[in-house]
Amino acid sequence: MTPFTPLTYDALTIGEEFVSDTLLVTPEDVETYAFAVDDHHPWFSGASPFGGALAHPTFAGNQALRLRHSRYVVHAGLHAKMQFEFLEPIRVGMRVRSRGRVIDKYVRRGKQYMVTEFVTEDDKGTPLVRGQFTQMLIPA
Amino acid sequence: MAIAPPLAIGQELPPLEKELTQRHIDAYSGVRVRSIHTDEAWARRKGFRTTLAQGMMSTAYVSEMMTALLGAGFVKGGSMSVAFVQPVYAGDRLTVRGVVKELRAEAGHTRVVVDVWCENQHGHKTAVGTASGLAP
Repeated sequence: MTPFTPLTYDALTIGEEFVSDTLLVTPEDVETYAFAVDDHHPWFSGASPFGGALAHPTFAGNQALRLRHSRYVVHAGLHAKMQFEFLEPIRVGMRVRSRGRVIDKYVRRGKQYMVTEFVTEDDKGTPLVRGQFTQMLIPA
Repeated sequence: MAIAPPLAIGQELPPLEKELTQRHIDAYSGVRVRSIHTDEAWARRKGFRTTLAQGMMSTAYVSEMMTALLGAGFVKGGSMSVAFVQPVYAGDRLTVRGVVKELRAEAGHTRVVVDVWCENQHGHKTAVGTASGLAP
């Protein structure tokens, strides 16, 4: 059982780690993402230079962004910064998982922020996407 | 699928136009109660005039622009660093722009670095940063 607690600045610890559930990348998920961002590149539904259909490069971003939801009840937040490195394509049929670690938290101009680094991997542990994001916490 | 080189520093990329409907945001974020992205009453309670798009949707638009430029060299070997400087609301219309900033040799390829940004229908920048990838 996961004991969920409200996310607060004070509750966050630099160095704490998160792991997502594993997601099977289905054609339907890839199609829904393509609709959401209005990008219907042919590689998302057919052949690609990498041998088969791919997900959008940013497809797994939400899996990473929601890592903190694996432990905390998140009242509201705003995304301030995002960094991606696309190491390998995310292919349809892969099972992907993201791991993250809080690397900083700070207050600037009265606003509270947390910084998380993450990696999204396939089921063999191959890194697919690395990155870092900064989220502003909106107090309850 | 990619724009043919040669590329030049200062070259403007073809802009993208994006209409952000609530339906797009719902598909991106998943509909949840007490979400500033999909629950209008909650968004207003948090001080916003209506629901907000996820900032990361703008990274997807930049990714589309960079894939159009570099193809597989962005999908594998690309990178991006973006700051979200203004909220994007449901119903906004974004223009995604890029200008080639730097061309540098990297492991037998040319890394293309692009200044990227998104503007809303009022001409205000909503996201700014850089993206890069390997030229074909």
